[in-house]
Parts: sequence; C-alpha cells; structure tokens
Amino acid sequence: MPRVLLVGALAAVLAATGCSPAPAPLSERVAAFEKLPDWSGIWEPNVFVGEGIGQALSPEGLKNGAPLLTAKMPLNAEWQTKFDAAARAQAAAVQADPDHPPAPPYPPCSPPPFLLGIASPALSQWRITPEEVTFIDTINFVRHIYTDGRSHPPADELWPTKMGDSIGRWEGDTLIVDTVAIKPRLVLFTFFALDMSEKLHFVERIRMVGHDEIQNELTMEDPVAMTGPFTLTFKYARVKDATRMIDETECDQITDRNPIVNGRFTAITGR
Amino acid sequence: MLRFLALLATAVCLTAGTVAAHHSAAMFDAGKQITLTGTVKEFQWTSPHCWIQVLVPNPARPNAAPLEWGIEMDNPVGLSRHGWKPGSLKAGDKIVVVAHPLRDGSRGGQVVSVTKDGKPVGTGLATPK
Repeated sequence: MPRVLLVGALAAVLAATGCSPAPAPLSERVAAFEKLPDWSGIWEPNVFVGEGIGQALSPEGLKNGAPLLTAKMPLNAEWQTKFDAAARAQAAAVQADPDHPPAPPYPPCSPPPFLLGIASPALSQWRITPEEVTFIDTINFVRHIYTDGRSHPPADELWPTKMGDSIGRWEGDTLIVDTVAIKPRLVLFTFFALDMSEKLHFVERIRMVGHDEIQNELTMEDPVAMTGPFTLTFKYARVKDATRMIDETECDQITDRNPIVNGRFTAITGR
Repeated sequence: MLRFLALLATAVCLTAGTVAAHHSAAMFDAGKQITLTGTVKEFQWTSPHCWIQVLVPNPARPNAAPLEWGIEMDNPVGLSRHGWKPGSLKAGDKIVVVAHPLRDGSRGGQVVSVTKDGKPVGTGLATPK
C-alpha cells in the first residue's frame, strides 16, 4: 500500500476511535485568529527606552522605573520583618563596597526570575494564537500562557517552577492571565530576594493602550505573607529601531567577558 | 545585566532621596567623564557586552608602552540600535572615547561616546523617540 494511503488509513482509525482530536476546519481557525488583537512588533519595558550605548538609563527611563522601585508591598508583620532584614543586608553590602555592588541573586547570563523578568531589560515579542500566548525576549525569558480554555492542573500535579503555570482568557482586547505554582523566592527590583509562601498567586491584565504601548497591570496575592493584593503596572514601548530578535545571553565564563566575577559586578581590563 | 545594575543604582538613589544626582553604588562613576585618545587594540562584538580595548599613551611616561584600557559597552543588539556594526572599529583605528570611569581607579569605564577620525561612531547618546 502506498505510504500516503497508510497514513490516511491510520488517521481515519485514530479519528474514529477518539485517539486524536479532529482538527478544526481551517475556516474556524482563521476566524479565531481574526478575533485576536494584533500585538506584533518588538517591545521593551519603558524603563529602558533611550538608554545609551553604555546602557546608562535615560532620564525618561529613570522616571518610568521609579514607581516600580518605590511601590510598597502590603506585607504582614512577620514578612515585613523579613523584608526589612533583607533590605538592610542589601544596603550594608552596597555600602561595604560601593565600587562593586553585589550581583542579583540568580545565576549570571540566565533569564531573570518571574517578577524581575516581567520587566526584563531585553527586546520582547508576543505570539498570539487561539490556543496560547507566548512571551519571548532576547534574554530567554519565555512565558507560555494557555488560552485554550484549560484550567490549572490539579494540585497533586503542580509543583513550583520558575515560570509557574499560566492560563489566560480574553476579555475583549485584554488578556487576563492567572499564574500559580511559581517558585516563591521573589527577586525584587532592588535585587534582594524575599521568600513568599506557596500561596503566591499572580493575576495580570495585559492590553494595548495605544499603538505604541502595551500595559501589564499585575496583581500579586499571597494571603500568608501579605495583608492584601499588591499591584504593579508595567509598560512596554514599541521598539522602532530594531528589526531582529537576537539572543543577548550567549555568554560563558570561558569565551566571553562577563561583568560578574566571583559573584560581584566588576569590569575586566585586559585579558 | 548592566541595565539592571543601572536600575539598582536608581534604587540606591531613591532610597537616599537623590534621584536627580544619579550618583550610585555602581562600579562606574556616572558623575564623571574621562576622555581617552588612543588606538584600538581590539573591538569585541560579543554578548553579553561589547568591549573596546584601547591603547592610550601614558602621559607620565611618553616613551613607555601605552596603557591598555577596557571600555564596556551595550550588547550587540543595543549597539545595533545606535547604528553600530561589527566592523565599526578595527585594530589600529585612532579613536577618542568618552567614558564614565571605574570608581576604583582601575583602567576601565562605561562608554558614553566614541569618535573615529573626527566623526562620531553611531549615535552614542540616548535613542531619540
């Protein structure tokens, strides 16, 4: 039997036995795409717009980043004590050696942890399909947000991971994302880590607020550590001077120069 | 990574209530600029950061071998957005580099702008929006 007939026969058997879902007709899939918003293009957090060739932030970027740094988490007394201790330790480390402040508490040249990565200092793109929205950036911070109507896996099939489990749904042109099972070790924007509880939960409302801006209103909840929800607003600006996504993280300690030596920022002169 | 460092510098400034000054705990002194006139030894177009190794005559010892400085830049993606290319600099090019110096006094800095043959390489400054 010719190979094509074998494949056709196998597909017919699978469809008849329910082993494989029958694909939706093409017209239905095209119609599903037509209902989705267009977030195509390349984006970056507005904290990093206009930075110089030495990566110094622009005045506009500094202004945009200020709300993220000054936002106050509604921690309960127990967690506030932990937060204050971590903040004091960070301040002491910076004061001890202001020339070489400590590195962020995650491996160099790896994607940042979840919360920090939402404002990843990289170029990013959104891939929107009826079944999934994927966020990809140039330092390999990748999120898979399932929009096919599924629920989170049952509790006995979940375990904490770097990106957690994200499901989404569309309310008009706004993507509502629900994320659980995140590793509770948050790295905050002041670069110290704070261990939250396993109840940590994120809800995001992501939408385009103009042709050149996407906004993510992220609300964090942790009933064990916080007295109420904590909301941060991230804004992404359309990048008009880049046409390609190129990996920025191809560094290793042998062939490339890395600004982190022995866990501390530095600059290597000569080699 | 340096971008996050810049954000940390901002955090320190905010804590101290001196946002505008932008003096920070970072290794580079953003409040100072040095100008280096020398010859390119090597232009490293690589992630996570590009580097210029530049040989600068020692003013204290003009007849001695020039001193090597390491100037850190953005990554290739960021530099491309400012009009830079992998071949923008070559060994032997005569350049003038403006940089924020390392605060610990060693021979390194964070690039601000580069001039070759009297003309700016790329835009160097903040991206116009």
